[in-house]
Amino acid sequence: MALATRIEPSILHKLAKYAPESENSVWTEIRTKSLKELNSTAFPHRKIEEWIFTDLRPIVRTDFVPLEEAGTFPATDIEKYFIPESDRSRLVFINGKFHEKYSSIGGLGKGVTVGNLADHSDEEEVQKYLNNLVNYENDVFVQYNGLMFEDGAYIHLEKGAKAEAPIQVLNLYTDAKNPFVATPRMLVVSEEESDVTIIEDHIGLGENRYMTIPVCEVKVKERAHIHHVRIQRDSIDAIHVSRPIAYVEKNSEYHSYTITLGAKLTRNEPRVIQEDEEVDFTLDGLVLIDGEQIADTHSVMDHRFSHADSHQLHKVVVNGKAHSIFNGKIFVRRDAQKIDSFQENRNLLLSEDGLVNTKPQLEIFADDVLCSHGATIGQLDPEEVFYLQSRGMTEEKAKEVLTYAFALETIENVKVESVHKLLIDEVYRYTKANSESKVTV
Amino acid sequence: MLEIKDLHVEVEGEGIEILKGVNLTVNKGEIHAIMGPNGSGKSTLAKIVAGHPEYEVSKGDILYNGESILELDPDERAHAGVFLAFQYPVEVPGVTNNTLLRESYNTIAASRGREELDPLEFDDYLRDKLELVDMNPDFLERSVNAGFSGGEKKRNEIFQMAVLEPTLSLLDETDSGLDIDALRIVADGINKLHGEDDAVVLITHYQRLLNYIVPDHVHVMIGGKIVKSGGKELAIELEEKGYDWLETHATVNGEAK
Ligand SMILES: Nc1ncnc2c1ncn2[C@@H]1O[C@H](COP(=O)(O)OP(=O)(O)OP(=O)(O)O)[C@@H](O)[C@H]1O
Ligand SMILES: [Mg+2]
Repeated sequence: MALATRIEPSILHKLAKYAPESENSVWTEIRTKSLKELNSTAFPHRKIEEWIFTDLRPIVRTDFVPLEEAGTFPATDIEKYFIPESDRSRLVFINGKFHEKYSSIGGLGKGVTVGNLADHSDEEEVQKYLNNLVNYENDVFVQYNGLMFEDGAYIHLEKGAKAEAPIQVLNLYTDAKNPFVATPRMLVVSEEESDVTIIEDHIGLGENRYMTIPVCEVKVKERAHIHHVRIQRDSIDAIHVSRPIAYVEKNSEYHSYTITLGAKLTRNEPRVIQEDEEVDFTLDGLVLIDGEQIADTHSVMDHRFSHADSHQLHKVVVNGKAHSIFNGKIFVRRDAQKIDSFQENRNLLLSEDGLVNTKPQLEIFADDVLCSHGATIGQLDPEEVFYLQSRGMTEEKAKEVLTYAFALETIENVKVESVHKLLIDEVYRYTKANSESKVTV
Repeated sequence: MLEIKDLHVEVEGEGIEILKGVNLTVNKGEIHAIMGPNGSGKSTLAKIVAGHPEYEVSKGDILYNGESILELDPDERAHAGVFLAFQYPVEVPGVTNNTLLRESYNTIAASRGREELDPLEFDDYLRDKLELVDMNPDFLERSVNAGFSGGEKKRNEIFQMAVLEPTLSLLDETDSGLDIDALRIVADGINKLHGEDDAVVLITHYQRLLNYIVPDHVHVMIGGKIVKSGGKELAIELEEKGYDWLETHATVNGEAK
């Protein structure tokens, strides 16, 4: 505790005293541990290597209040965010709280359990994995989530179970008088040979400032497959700090696609950790930002065993004064041979005032590996613009088409039809809005 | 239809003069061939007519149907019926041929007051045009020129020309890279597309093409100028003699100026 006194208390430290009580021993234990760690962990700042490019002022300078005091407005007209494929496989959270009346969980077939974490605290998997997969040393955000969350999404597939429909985990954030902090939580345990598609959606209903800190733990057991789509459509003034982590076992596959559209400040730290041989995983991302948005992805792909196939295509379009940061760490441990790892960060800079920092980071300790990695920062190719113009498209249209084409590649693999379409619409909206504002080649 | 008058062209912002006083008149219904050594300015001429922003007209004018088009954007020139088949067709990953053509056809149709075609009609229309250049329909769903072989790219340019039905076609070395059969097919296609109301300007290095597409006029460009014009026999003469005998002529002209 001597250490604790040396820490400059951040807003998260200050809000810690509002942590809810729980009679449930699992939750109590997580809270006790989280609080202890939080008390001895400092809030990050730009002198720390991992935060060097990220402007944290939107967090530091906001007086967040406990959710109860935020004066939230009701969530209305939310049905339009329901995806039809998940008509009977949907969980809805509003500001992190589970809402049964909007949720629907009857349509998944045998061996699939979907529900609110708080209602499944007795289950073995919850006790075993919850808060034990996520491991962000010195991470106040994870600690804060651990201290505060009550509800969360729980998805469990028994051995051999195949979810008959994609599961939509819909996180809505309401307009409010004062800025609040939400702590959505998710645990996915996919037993041997199971198969599931998850659509995790974060949507801001207003234009207000709030901070959401989603923590998502995923366990993919032997020969199981998970397709995980994460869409971030937070309010334009929101702060989104997310920690999704997946552990992949032998012969399993985990494919995740993260689409970042909203929020004033995003810090996304996806991690995939290999637990055995013969795995296949994807950590693709698409970021479309404008205005004064900051979107930061710090990812880790940790190859600990032989025979892994990993893929990370991170595409970014920056307009206005927006700022993109990418740091992609690829670890290949000493005994991890026959690794085939692909990583590429491609940035399209549409404006003169946009900013891109990119740092692919390979740390390879094995010798029989194939790692390709690269980063490019470019503008639209004037020859391509001229070519399309010579075919009759206006300059604006040509730029729009080219931007659209650039962005589309990353969402091609999203296999839920309505979501794929929704994302195409989002890309279209972005490119359209941008071609109407000033764009420089 | 096209009148180029004492055209001087520089690389935008760099003051490097590439075209040094080109004069050329192309009338409705005619086919012109422009030949000349590498680097003499043939592509630059074609690109400046199409409105490429990399080049700047420092002197002279380009009239199209009697009016200067120097102030028009490339798309406005396309709307007016100008078409450039690129010497090096640009790859546009992520944009399918189909998307490009539908978009182009409809904007050009709209600006010329023609009916737009609905998707089904447009499909039929495309099929006909594909046949004209003997192209596989699979190419419609592929990204524009991405991963196309050299010859496929050239054929795709002529396919686009067939779809867009321009009134002035500038075909920059469309024959380079085509195999013997493809050359014949593409040449036949161009002949079929050409009629009384449009004009074609062919840029080529080879007299062979001109056996298939017979030009009304042949011009030789050297050092940024047209140094000689003649009938189709001129191409045969060039094939035999090369450009040397004309180059001295060009220099003399240049110095005299
Ligand atoms: N953007 C540019 N900057 C500098 N020089 C240029 C530029 N574009 C063209 N040039 C130069 O202008 C000259 C004419 O080029 P152009 O491409 O028009 O030749 P061409 O007659 O088409 O040759 P080829 O038969 O090889 O296709 C060349 O010397 C070329 O290097
Ligand atoms: Mg040329």
